[in-house]
Amino acid sequence: MHPLNWIIIGGYLLYVVVDGIRRAKGTHEISGYFLANRSLPWWAVGLSVMATQLSAITLIGTTGQGATDGMRFIQFYFGLPLAMVILGVTLVPFLHGSGVFTAYEYLERRFDAKTRGLTSFLFLLSRGMSCGTIIAAPAVVLSAILGWKLIWSVALIGVPTVVYTMVGGVQAVTWVDVKQMVLIVAALVILAIVLVVGLPLGPDDALYLAGATGRLKAFDFSFDLDQTYTFWSGLIGGTFLMLSYFGTDQSQVQRYLTARSVDEARSSLLMSAFWKIPLQALVLLIGVLVFVHFLFRTPPLYFNPADRRAVERAASEELAELERRYLQAVAEREDVARAVAAARRGNDGVAIQSAVGEFLVRNQEVVAVRNQALELATRVTGSRSTDVNYITPWFVLHDLPLGMAGLFIAAVMAAAMSSIAAELNSLSTATVIDFYRRWVRPQGSDAHFLRVSKAATGFWGLFACVVATFAGTLGSLIEVVNRFGSFFYGSILGVFLLAMIPGARPNGAFFGLIAGMAAVATVNFGAPSVSFLWHNVVGATMVVLVGGLLSWLGNSRKTR
Amino acid sequence: MGDNSRFWLTLVKVILVQAVSLLLLWALQVRYTP
Repeated sequence: MHPLNWIIIGGYLLYVVVDGIRRAKGTHEISGYFLANRSLPWWAVGLSVMATQLSAITLIGTTGQGATDGMRFIQFYFGLPLAMVILGVTLVPFLHGSGVFTAYEYLERRFDAKTRGLTSFLFLLSRGMSCGTIIAAPAVVLSAILGWKLIWSVALIGVPTVVYTMVGGVQAVTWVDVKQMVLIVAALVILAIVLVVGLPLGPDDALYLAGATGRLKAFDFSFDLDQTYTFWSGLIGGTFLMLSYFGTDQSQVQRYLTARSVDEARSSLLMSAFWKIPLQALVLLIGVLVFVHFLFRTPPLYFNPADRRAVERAASEELAELERRYLQAVAEREDVARAVAAARRGNDGVAIQSAVGEFLVRNQEVVAVRNQALELATRVTGSRSTDVNYITPWFVLHDLPLGMAGLFIAAVMAAAMSSIAAELNSLSTATVIDFYRRWVRPQGSDAHFLRVSKAATGFWGLFACVVATFAGTLGSLIEVVNRFGSFFYGSILGVFLLAMIPGARPNGAFFGLIAGMAAVATVNFGAPSVSFLWHNVVGATMVVLVGGLLSWLGNSRKTR
Repeated sequence: MGDNSRFWLTLVKVILVQAVSLLLLWALQVRYTP
């Protein structure tokens, strides 16, 4: 990579660390360290909420998804605006108004210590692991494309984040998030402009070619529970998922607990309600444009260089034959794509129809050869090879003007670091507030808790880096934890919904939570094809039903 | 302005912005998907 790119990345890292550490000034007690003394403006909190949700996978994985699959992933976010509005009138006033540090602390006030302990423990377990995967995902890609050992990429992303989060607390997390969000959006807009300007045909022809392959199909109205992304799973399942994530996950709740008032906390969430779908549409559209770009510039057979090296070593003859077929198919597709654009200029309906038909056949041939190549890589490496996450980084490193690669890698790091920082900060808060201060040392001084909080942030940072470094070998364990996480996400939302029902009782909440998790596990193992977006609906509904019934039985026994 | 009326006003704004976003996506789909 050109030195200018490294200068951009180095400058970015230096800036965020210095800016983050600078925020430590004036933080002498845990209320400042964890909640910024509830002093932050809505727009800074709003940008921090968005930066926390937007991880590196959004930049490299979702653009790759746009390139291979098109716009339909956008449906995943259809429930988000509705969820934000619902939270604005329900949980946000409850949580902000009660003056708690963690969402789970509120559950003890409303129910009992065991419900708080269980929900906070589930949060620590799942977020601790997921923090590792958030570092691992971009680190694996960076290592592969730059030819580094994984540990160096993990260190490059993890160490600066841990340093500024540990020293500066939530002030550092939020104010660095603001700058990181600006960097990410700027990089996306510049990337989109460079892509459009660099195409050999106009935007209308580019979109026509992408549309012909179905990549601009953003809506699927079929009510099929097995389809992951449909309008209905996004709207209904997505609403429940976003309610759980923004309403009960400490990594998000803590963002808006730092706002000056309930109204500012609400406004910070509404920023996502306004901007999330347009921003995500831009990310996917960039992916679609990358697909069009590769119609006129020969893409590699393998976007992941590690796959290519492995196949070259183990099956060089098969690789040579696949590459020969691939180059031919790509060249033929390019010719036909140009023919489509020419036919459109001629405005000849029959010629356009015929050229589009030919284009789709050629495109299918390219896809078929690529699939064979990926199957070969899977056979050779022994692990399933899909190089979706490598498409955009490859494009950025090889095809963009000088300096753009540095800007994009800095944006990917910003996306990863903003999510990790918020998670470390919230993991530390839950550890100290829900467990250490609650059970181990309730009477400590503020200075003592501040020291413990910084140590807890450092511990979780180290834990996340270790998980990320061994992500390959821990693969199945991480998958188990993630799957386990999906069992209780909706169920925890159910407990919070139950908390808003006046007659709900502690045992109803606790056993309702267990019943919700059991119901999701049953659906998961009994009907594995059902989209995960429905799991949250099942979990939350079951908790409210079982918890409500148990509370009603308890109340009626008491009255008798 | 009370909290409730502010909420309803914001809700209307969110619905309008999302309706425009979804309409644009829909228009893109209808215009370019055969």
